Amino acid sequence: MFAACGSFARAQMYPHATPAPRTTSVPELRALATGREVVERFHLGIAAEQRADWPAAAAEFERIIALDPGEPQNSTARYDLGIAYANMRRLDDAARQLQSAIARDPGFLAAMANLIAVDLSRGDLRDARAVADRFVAAAPDSARALYERGLVALRSGDMVTARNDFGQFLQANPKYAYAHYNLGLAQTKTSDYASAEREFQLAVDLAPQYSRARFALGTVLLREGKRAQARAAFATVAGDSATDPALRNLAVAMRDAIKSR
Amino acid sequence: MLAAVLAVCTLTFERGYAGAQSLEAMLDGALQPSAAPSLLGPITEAGRVGWACKPEQAAAANSWQNAELPRP
Repeated sequence: MFAACGSFARAQMYPHATPAPRTTSVPELRALATGREVVERFHLGIAAEQRADWPAAAAEFERIIALDPGEPQNSTARYDLGIAYANMRRLDDAARQLQSAIARDPGFLAAMANLIAVDLSRGDLRDARAVADRFVAAAPDSARALYERGLVALRSGDMVTARNDFGQFLQANPKYAYAHYNLGLAQTKTSDYASAEREFQLAVDLAPQYSRARFALGTVLLREGKRAQARAAFATVAGDSATDPALRNLAVAMRDAIKSR
Repeated sequence: MLAAVLAVCTLTFERGYAGAQSLEAMLDGALQPSAAPSLLGPITEAGRVGWACKPEQAAAANSWQNAELPRP
């Protein structure tokens, strides 16, 4: 019985059959063969991505694009190729493929989401912001759209947009610690320390192991003159062995600097 | 390095003069925005419009869990 189940499971892994050719027209037969090749290569490419074999995946999607299928396969192949390139650290190539996917399918939200992440990795904040604005316009309630544009704005120094986007994000997701931390950073940059303290405190309440937020809380408390509380925050970070060593060293220095007073 | 940080901290928070800019730079270095979310996954030849297209659903989702944002 198990053998039968095994063979049934394997059968289910074959791609859906493409239509049997019912023509003798050479152009139609060629088009059917091309369509079949596109479908087969999608399956091979996605299987390669699932096992993180990015060069093999890229080769399949490059071939699909060379066959120039219509939509939605053309933009989808470019999206999938963008993922493969991004994982191969070919970030500019990844961005180009994702931009092409969006040009062919202007409502392609997943491509926008991935392009922003790629742009942030390659440091192209201008393109990231343009795509993020488009993403938010297309999906104003999307958590990813608001979060990603908030990150882009924060890195670009646009604190008004960062505060608005993380604030709106948190209305729907009040328990997401990273958004509280990022909002706190935007408030710190605009010297709104009382608000920043509240956001950092919420972040560490929600995620007590979140050392970077606790460190940020310490810096804001210090700016507010709350030295004892600041020292306690730095001491907690300094005592957490799981913390990034550079942050831990800085926390030790801050804790001891306050102690020496 | 630790000694240098200590010296800067001491100067800044106890005497309030030189070294403040270095300390600000060090603190700014530590206070970086959180990392960008990881990429959404691949899509089959059926394209993004199908009801089962998880990456497109994640891109449009309103909650952070469904949006596949990193878990703190």
